[in-house]
Amino acid sequence: MGVKVRIPTPLQKLTNGKAEVECSAKNIAELVDALEKDYPGIKERLSEGGKVRRFINIYVNDEDIRFVNKEETVLKDGDNISIVPAIAGGRLKNEVERLGT
Amino acid sequence: MLTITKSDLARILDHCLAGYPNEACGILGGRDGMVEKVYRMTNARPGPTTYEMDPEEQFRVMKDIREADLAMVGMYHSHPGGHAYPSSVDVERAYWPGTRLPNYPSAVYVIVSLLDRANPAVRGYRIDEGTVSEISLAVTEQLDDPTTTH
Ligand SMILES: [Zn+2]
Repeated sequence: MGVKVRIPTPLQKLTNGKAEVECSAKNIAELVDALEKDYPGIKERLSEGGKVRRFINIYVNDEDIRFVNKEETVLKDGDNISIVPAIAGGRLKNEVERLGT
Repeated sequence: MLTITKSDLARILDHCLAGYPNEACGILGGRDGMVEKVYRMTNARPGPTTYEMDPEEQFRVMKDIREADLAMVGMYHSHPGGHAYPSSVDVERAYWPGTRLPNYPSAVYVIVSLLDRANPAVRGYRIDEGTVSEISLAVTEQLDDPTTTH
């Protein structure tokens, strides 16, 4: 028993094409380390200095970990974890004239 | 090509105009390059030059799309004071942070320019590994009846 992790498309190269993997971990920080053991390189994609990267959202079941306990959010067997890239955009102030966008 | 009905396109334009002067954003659910459902999303960082979909809302909508056996065929956002072309930040955010791997490689990024609010410009783009290419948008009365190309 462990947790199920839904892997987003851009990371599936690291998981040999798998969209869902199983793992065992007690919290999100441990989960990132456990994933790294099985899929080297994934930790650097997910986190920076021990924190989940900006514009990457992680959900335990239906809850955003930022509103639970961030990297310390506790996991239990059977939890479904989703890693979801934010949908965002914008433009730099000085881009207005330069590109006209 | 991404196909959308006139009424769904009108819903997108209404949403973008209602959000003016801030950017508005949404998700397009569908299949085979056809938009079947428009989800108006909350811009969690509202501003005239920024958008970020509310993360929990985005999660719920993506789940709703999966459960309906649809795919996220696209997303839209407005450029209240800019052209209907992705900005450098739009392109950067389309990639996984620190890489050139597209987050949503099969989705079309629809951009609505409100430079002329009486006549908004709408264009679609695919953002792939290091390339941005325009995808034509077909606007139809009904989904099984492609009539005009936008
Ligand atoms: Zn934009």
